[in-house]
Amino acid sequence: MSAAGATELRRAPVPLGTAIAVQRRVIFALLMREALTRYGRHNIGFLWLFVEPMIFTIGVTALWSITKTVHGSTIPITAFALTGYSSVLLWRNMPGRCINALMPNLPLLYHRNVRIFDIFVARLLLEFAGATMSFLLLAMLFTLIGWTQLPENLLEVIGGWFILAWFGMALALFLGALSVRSELVEKLWHPLSYLTFPLSGAAFMVDALPRQAQDFVLLLPMVHGVEIVREGYFGSYARAHYDVGYIVAVALVLTFLALLQIRAVAPDIIVE
Amino acid sequence: MIETADTTPARARARFRLPGPLFLLFVALPTLAALAYFGVLASDVYVSESRFIVRSQDKATPTALGLLLNNATLSHGTPESSAAQSYLLSRDALSALNHGNAYARAYTRPGISRFDRFDPLGLAGSFEDLYKYYEGHVRVDSDSTQGITVLTVRAYTPADAHVINEQLLRLAETTVNHMSERARHDLITTSEREVFDAKAAARAAGAALARFRNTAGVIDPEKQAPIQYELVSKLQDELIEARSDRRQLMIVAPQSAQIPALDARIKEIETRINEQSGLAAGNRKKSLAAAGEEYQRLSLESDFAAKRLAASLASLEAAENEAQRKSSYVERIVEPNRPDSAIEPHRARGILTTLVFSLIVWGVATMLIAGIREHGS
Repeated sequence: MSAAGATELRRAPVPLGTAIAVQRRVIFALLMREALTRYGRHNIGFLWLFVEPMIFTIGVTALWSITKTVHGSTIPITAFALTGYSSVLLWRNMPGRCINALMPNLPLLYHRNVRIFDIFVARLLLEFAGATMSFLLLAMLFTLIGWTQLPENLLEVIGGWFILAWFGMALALFLGALSVRSELVEKLWHPLSYLTFPLSGAAFMVDALPRQAQDFVLLLPMVHGVEIVREGYFGSYARAHYDVGYIVAVALVLTFLALLQIRAVAPDIIVE
Repeated sequence: MIETADTTPARARARFRLPGPLFLLFVALPTLAALAYFGVLASDVYVSESRFIVRSQDKATPTALGLLLNNATLSHGTPESSAAQSYLLSRDALSALNHGNAYARAYTRPGISRFDRFDPLGLAGSFEDLYKYYEGHVRVDSDSTQGITVLTVRAYTPADAHVINEQLLRLAETTVNHMSERARHDLITTSEREVFDAKAAARAAGAALARFRNTAGVIDPEKQAPIQYELVSKLQDELIEARSDRRQLMIVAPQSAQIPALDARIKEIETRINEQSGLAAGNRKKSLAAAGEEYQRLSLESDFAAKRLAASLASLEAAENEAQRKSSYVERIVEPNRPDSAIEPHRARGILTTLVFSLIVWGVATMLIAGIREHGS
């Protein structure tokens, strides 16, 4: 690029509309590339995107149904496992995909229009699409064969799902950006993600817990998201305990920190 | 890469210095709104708090997790206290409270700001709207394991807060007492009815037995029969004696004048024996054996009735004990207070929270837009 071109760019930034269009194309291209590199074209190829989480969910649902896990509510165990485990897959796989996401994609940053944020977002969107499709298909399947009923308040389920996804994305962006600085993040996230699973509200309703435990568990933001999804799905069956303000505030602060962190690490990344 | 590295901070600095439209939208506007609301518009809120416990002899029901861990202390409290809590937040409680529209009037006083008043525009005055409003101004918390319930009422005058709290507490007391009375009634009435029936049956059986004794002229055939047989065996002894006397006399003095007398005696004894053994058992209607059949039936019945009465009396006593154990009542720990100053809204905190959060939202928005702008054509 010539020096004249550079000064021109600096004085007159591209209009926001154009920039958005460019970013959308970049993210879409990255998304397609990601899907192809991850799943390839052999056997069912890109279908693995949601077949993989579906297998997970079916497995856990089957296990819980057989062992008749105590979950402290009158909700049928299959529906309980479906909502619980799908939610876990949604928020927990996102950080896993974003941590160390830059390494394999480093050469792409050579293009001026590919930013770190775009790489993260492409992966997150893919993850979101996979988890959502898995949840949707399983819910439809289970409804067809009569293991669950249709959600009582679909809008609330969607709202809870999106809030949970936002939380997962913010957490993923933050950890993904942090992982550039230190590989400790990756080492610590794995045990942490396993430890938070039993506490995340996937395996219990908050209402079934004693009071002291409720107060403690409700400090974890994802519990609120799962409770919203469950309330929307089961309505009157489930007495949900949640605070939308809390999870939104946490997600907002996390988003802020994540964006700050992404900006902070951007100059450190060296493209060879 | 190098040129973006040095242009970004410069551009960012320029944007930070001049409050752009983003800053106005995300920070200035919400903060000004918060300043206006918390600084001027919001009415003082008076909070009245009371604490009570629902006493009952019954053990608390453990939660599923408590059962799993075999730990009874992990409980939700007694069912009665849950009932009192859910009653306090019910439409029933509100409609009792709103008797003569008193509740709605307390929250539509002209002194209350338009932003806090119930139905400020006169568009949403239905009972359901009032209930929604009520839910926002009454809080019922259960205080962890000890089962203490904290009732908090928010109102816009100290007197209202105090009166409403007091009334709600009294309503909760009435509900719990009613439940307790009802449980007691349910437990005892069945037992009482059983005792009543058993008494009637015992009385009827006793009367039937007495009537039989009168008509049959028998008191207790079982006890009378041995006496009868003793009499018969005595007569038999006498008969044997008289016969042997007669045989001796026939041998010693066949012409004795005593023989006809002995004959007469033997005949007499024989008729007596026939008579008496017929009374004990045999052909006649009046025999003891015939009476014994009927008597046995009646006496069994009367025995059974007496036992049933005893059992039902015992179960009534047990039911009374159970009812005593099940009875529950509201015990006030802290009487509703009458606040002398408004502790809410937290004005400074509200403004500060709004400021901090709008700054964060603004930060996110700016960074996102800056990120988008990094994409050239």
